[in-house]
Formats: sequence, C-alpha cells, structure tokens
Amino acid sequence: MNLKRVIYTISILALLFGLWGIFVRLTTGHREAAYGSYVVWGLWVAMYLFFAGIAAGAFMISTLDLLFHIRIFKGTGRIALWVGLVSLAAALLSIWLDLGHMERIWKVYLQGNLGSVMAQMVWGYTLFGLLMLVSLYLSIRDSQSSLLKVLMILGLPLSLFVSGAVGALLGVEASRMFWHVGLLPVQFPVFSLASGAAAMLAVIGLFGSREYPERSEQLWVLSVLTVALAVVKLYFLWADFSQSMYGNIPQNVEAVRAVLYGPYWWAFWILQILVGTLVPIFVLSQPKLARHNGWAGWMGVLVLLGFAVARANIVFPALTVPEIQALTTAFSGPHLTFDYFPSMMEWAVTLGIVGLAVLAFLIGDDRLPLHSEEVA
Amino acid sequence: MLEVLEQQDVLVRMHEELQRAMKKKPEERRWVMVIDLRRCVGCHACTIACVAENKLPPGVVYRPVLDEEFGSYPNVTRRFIPRPCMQCDEPPCVPVCPVNATYKNNEGVTVVDYDQCIGCRYCVTACPYGARTFDFGLTYTETTPDNLPFLFGQSNADDYERHANYEYGETRLREGEKSPIGNVRKCHFCLHRLAEGMLPACTTTCIGRATLFGDANDPDSLVAEMIASPNVMRLKEELGTEPRVYYLV
Repeated sequence: MNLKRVIYTISILALLFGLWGIFVRLTTGHREAAYGSYVVWGLWVAMYLFFAGIAAGAFMISTLDLLFHIRIFKGTGRIALWVGLVSLAAALLSIWLDLGHMERIWKVYLQGNLGSVMAQMVWGYTLFGLLMLVSLYLSIRDSQSSLLKVLMILGLPLSLFVSGAVGALLGVEASRMFWHVGLLPVQFPVFSLASGAAAMLAVIGLFGSREYPERSEQLWVLSVLTVALAVVKLYFLWADFSQSMYGNIPQNVEAVRAVLYGPYWWAFWILQILVGTLVPIFVLSQPKLARHNGWAGWMGVLVLLGFAVARANIVFPALTVPEIQALTTAFSGPHLTFDYFPSMMEWAVTLGIVGLAVLAFLIGDDRLPLHSEEVA
Repeated sequence: MLEVLEQQDVLVRMHEELQRAMKKKPEERRWVMVIDLRRCVGCHACTIACVAENKLPPGVVYRPVLDEEFGSYPNVTRRFIPRPCMQCDEPPCVPVCPVNATYKNNEGVTVVDYDQCIGCRYCVTACPYGARTFDFGLTYTETTPDNLPFLFGQSNADDYERHANYEYGETRLREGEKSPIGNVRKCHFCLHRLAEGMLPACTTTCIGRATLFGDANDPDSLVAEMIASPNVMRLKEELGTEPRVYYLV
C-alpha cells in the first residue's frame, strides 16, 4: 500500500469522525463545547488561524513561480495555489462552525462594520479566496496570461494584509496584555510564509512527481527557507516572552507562565519547540536529508504540527488569565471556567476538517492538472 | 434612633429622581450606577435578582459579586465588589463588533441587538471586565425527569424557563436555537424596567442600599452627589474606558 493510499484512508476516517462532530454541533449548538464565556475562543479559532496562515503563505510561495518566474520553483505555482485554496476553505469552515449564529454570516457582508478588524478580515479573505480561485483557473488554462500576472501582483499585498489582519485581530485588544503586542500584525505574515513553506515541503516531498528534475533542489531551497523562518520564529518567541517576563505586568506574566509551565507545558516544549521546531531545524540543515523526499516531506508535516500548537498557544493563554482575579470564583455554572481543554466534539470537528482538507488536496492532486508536465 | 427611622429610604428618593429623568429626552439622561463597597455585605441578592429579572440561563451572569480576601490572621478582611457591565463611555467591545450588533444607545447604555449578533464573541474578548457571557442554550431543568407519578416533573418545573424574556422591551422566548441563544449577553441597566419607571432589579433588591442608580446629569440626584465625593473610584480607569459604574470605598 503506497503512502497516498494510507493518507487517503486516514483522511476518510478523520472525515467520518468529523461528520459525527459536525452533526453534534449542528443539532445541539455549542452546548457540548468546552470553551465558555471566559475562555471564549477555543480549538476552532486556533485552527482558523493555522489554516488561514497556510493559505496566505502558500499563495506567497506560488508567486515565486507564477509572478517572479524563479527557475527553481518552476511548476510549483499551481499546486501551491491549490494548497492555499484548500487551506482557506478549511479555515473558513472552522471559524464558521464557531459562530453562535452561522446563518447570519451574510450580515458581515451586507451590514458589516468596516471599522472592525474582524469584518475587514472576512472581506479580505473572501476576496483573497476568489483571487486564488481565478488565479488557479488561469494558471491551468494559460500560465502566461496577463490577467494572471495582475492577479498575482494584487494578491501579494492582499496575502500580507489578510495574514497581518489575523495578528491585528488579536493585537488591537488592549484588555489582553498577552495579545496587545504592536508587532503581532508584522509577525503573522512571517508565520504565514513559514507555514506555507512547510506545507509546500510536505506536498512536494511526499506527493511531488519523482521524475521532475528540479525536485531535490526545490526541497533544498524550501528547507533553507523553513529553517531560516523557524529561527526567526524562535527569535520572535524569545523577544515576546522575555520582554513580558521582564516587564512583569501580572496579567502578561501569568499568560506566559501558563504557556511555559502551565498544565499544557508539554504542548509548548515537546510539540511546538522540540518536535515542531528544533527537530526540523536539525534535519533540514543537513543538505542530504533536506533533499530527500521523505525526510523533507515529513519535516514539513512536523513544522505544521508545531504551528498548529503555536496558534493554540497564542489564542488560549490570553483567555485563561482572568480579567479580574476574583471572577474565577464569583459565580459558578457551566461554561464559566478559566480552564480549557477541547471537548470530544471540538476534536472531532477539527479532525474532520483536517481530513476533509487533506482529502480535497489529494483529489485535486490526482484529478486536476496541477503539475507542470500535465498542462499543455 | 427615631431620626434614623424617619429618614427617607434612598430607594424612594431614587424612584422620584427616576420619574424626573424619564421626562427628559433620552440623550439628556446620563445613567450612572454607584456601588458603595462599605455597605455591600456580599449577600448576592443583586446577582439573583438580575438572574430572575432577565431569566438568565445556566452559565449566563450579568452581575456577579467578586469576593476578595486580604491579609493574614489576625488582620484579615473581605471585600465584595458587585460587577455589572461598566457601560463604558469608551467601550472596547463596540468597535470590534463586525456587524454593529453592540452599540451605545441614545441613553449611553451599551446594548446588544440579539437579531443582529452573529455570536463571534469578539466583544467578549475585548471587554476588560469580563462583563459579557455567551448563551450556550442550556436550561436549568433540562435533566429533570418528567411524567413520573410522584414528581413535580420538567413540564411543570420549567414554567419559569418557558416564560418570555423582556430584555430591551422585547418579548423573547428561549427555544430551539433562536436568539438570545447563540448570542453574547450582558447587563443593560434593566432598560425595560426603566422604561416602566422602575429602578434596575439589582438596585431595588440590595439589602444594604449599597447600589445606587440615577441620572448623573440631574445635579440634585443622589448619584450626582455621590460621584462628586473624593472616595470614588472606577475599575481599571487606566484603560481609558470611562466606566459609568462608580465605587465608593
């Protein structure tokens, strides 16, 4: 059984599990969720940030082929756009299921408050999705189309805007010291590029055409990019956390401590830092391993896993610190707690969305002419 | 002793002031709440009155009372801080709403349009006071058994929960997934009661008369008098939210 079949099977199983979660979500609303009125955003918001980051990053990577025509990336543009589209769909599905009234999403478009970063982001991602869709269509039909070039030129700043807006969504919240960092909208596009590069590493390494002569060089360049961005990411993390600890503002320090030494310390140290950052840095720094399909591909997967945990470690800690300490015991009831671990329904929905995204990617990879040799 | 007994209850005074304020145009009123922490005994009557008045379901609370303990034996003290919505003049929750579902009305009270709210909960994350909660659609009696011969079962016990909610002067039944289920909810100074010339439920229920309410634009009102005293403070003033809830310490 080859790798693709195994991943097809796992994706279908994940999707089936997810269908149960979505059924529970649609029939019982948010009752079965573990998030509440204090930790008000949970796993689905974190996954939205994660997938949206991949979408923006994958688009940025696609411009290397379709806009800048860099030789080494020749033939990767369409597959990168497909990764971006699938990720964006997964992001939007994740955040849509998180809404209290899913049926009212149209209000953001027709009765929206454009002063709200969230409304700007919804508009931005909608335009971005449409732009990616048209770009993919054009790149399949005629990769030399002048309209494609225009869309790529427009899409590049748009991808920076939408990924920066995710940072701004959190950064504008002056009441949450952990989020209220001026550089967050600057950091997020870097994170997006890093996750886009990691996704491409996984896609080319695990599913790319083995006959393609540039493949090992593409993996090497993407590996170098991934390693460089992982180091930048570590630097951002160090700068944020050390300044927070040094500044000693209680609410901020408490949030950082929750990440470093809280109940889910293992998610930060083991999954995000060790497995998701240090191991890939070590492996991808070795030219031989970085050019190897399997090694490079699986390291891309590990970097993505690290990013998923990193998104959770941005969203949750700020919310687990009470706005006013005595709130923790002031009134008790369901969904009034500052502890959070996703419920079975939340995990199911998330795994289902991941399964659906991987399945959609594989079907597109098999059925659409996304590889250079498949287009006339 | 007799003099104390002969004093007018502040509730009577605030009620008279309320009638006066309601004759003004809404935009000329400035509703303010003053909570005298020296008088609060931490009985939580205001919390319960609010739950009853607004028929709040499990997990939704507008006015919890924070219970803080200081010091170490033998120098120990407790402080109780009722925490309604601060009705900020610069509310961080308003500009973040993607659909303008939450806004300051013409009386300066921050309200939620339940039919407009999409339930994204961005406003909850923006509030520095934790004053907003999300309605997850739970009921108190949902696990109560029914149709048993010797039990006052669910179909009878949930009468209270089946009654309409009159927040914002609208008759709303909580059923299915209809609003306010799936919405963010918050204290609104009992606007529906004010419209009928009644003080907020928390104010009338306070056994120590610690919660005072009125129109600060009326120079003769009790609240105008109180907020001019030097021992007044507001929560997290450094954030520039300009709360309309004042505490006397």
